[in-house]
Amino acid sequence: MSDSGGGALKGVMTIVACGLFLGFAYNAFGLISENPWGLSWVSESKLDMLAKSELVKAVPDEPASAPEEDYWTDIDDPLAVPAAARAGLGLPDIPCAGRPVQIELGALKQYYDAEAALIIDAREPDDYDDGHISGAMNIPYDIGMTDPQVLERLDAGGKPIITYCGGGTCEVSLTLAEELITAGHSPVAVYIGGFSEWAEAGYPVDRRPS
Amino acid sequence: MEALKRFLTDSRTIRVSQVLIGLVFAASSLAKLGDLHSFAEEVHNFKLLPVALDHLVAMTLPWIELVAALALLLGVRARSGAMVVSTLMVVFTIGVLIAMARGLDIECGCFGTADGTRVGLVKVLENSAMLALALIGSLRARSLLGGSGA
Repeated sequence: MSDSGGGALKGVMTIVACGLFLGFAYNAFGLISENPWGLSWVSESKLDMLAKSELVKAVPDEPASAPEEDYWTDIDDPLAVPAAARAGLGLPDIPCAGRPVQIELGALKQYYDAEAALIIDAREPDDYDDGHISGAMNIPYDIGMTDPQVLERLDAGGKPIITYCGGGTCEVSLTLAEELITAGHSPVAVYIGGFSEWAEAGYPVDRRPS
Repeated sequence: MEALKRFLTDSRTIRVSQVLIGLVFAASSLAKLGDLHSFAEEVHNFKLLPVALDHLVAMTLPWIELVAALALLLGVRARSGAMVVSTLMVVFTIGVLIAMARGLDIECGCFGTADGTRVGLVKVLENSAMLALALIGSLRARSLLGGSGA
């Protein structure tokens, strides 16, 4: 084998070309398998995928003198609010979709006020201590990888679970939500606006005294 | 200084370095190939590339590592293998440093999900040691005994 500079460089290119070929071939095999395990050729951000899922919106406030027929909703109207939800606690419905759905600020606030959901902060303890939604518990997103039993043992008391993180492009709330669903919890919603939007709205926050 | 140069360019020093770094890269590539989806997520978490490219990197990088590791271990084009590994170590270390500068608290993904090491100073030091090993492996041997294996 040549040990010249040109020979070594040719070897580098050979190694890279072999690696690329094997990688593409192995993945193509993974995609055409009976139970496909390959990666999609073009990746998509998780937040983009979540943005395509159902959005849980707040139930509009009812005037005190609302006539009874207002409880009926048109099932063909996608903006109609489920009648069952209005008749119950007045909360929007979080579907058991087998995957996380997104929830907007107003709907989260309604769940918060009714204490009808388990709200989980998916950030690291330091960020949680700096400020979090009042009453939210802290389960860092990576716990699902290091200690999945914590998620399996979690008792949501029959309530929906809502996860959040810092807002913006932060994705760890979605990662935790997926881990919770894998651990058998349902329904699980992700509040994409995160702590920043909640705090900006002037809603209750807790800070751990330093 | 002359003694160090003689030691580093000794064919046995170079061969041992090549085998050691080859073993590390064989282990890391197989760990990544064992769970491609988790590795793709770790690549994504570094946020160094456009999202659309994350999967292409995740599906090819472990194979480039594996081919380079086999070259190092088998002594076929071993110098080239060491050069590939050196380049990768530089890229990985820059990736870790950028993640640290951005304040990202993420898993390194260096050995797939097998080790769970997070990015940080310890990882930079580990990478630097491996880079040194890979650079020694890519040196041209002074002695003709045993050749360079390249």
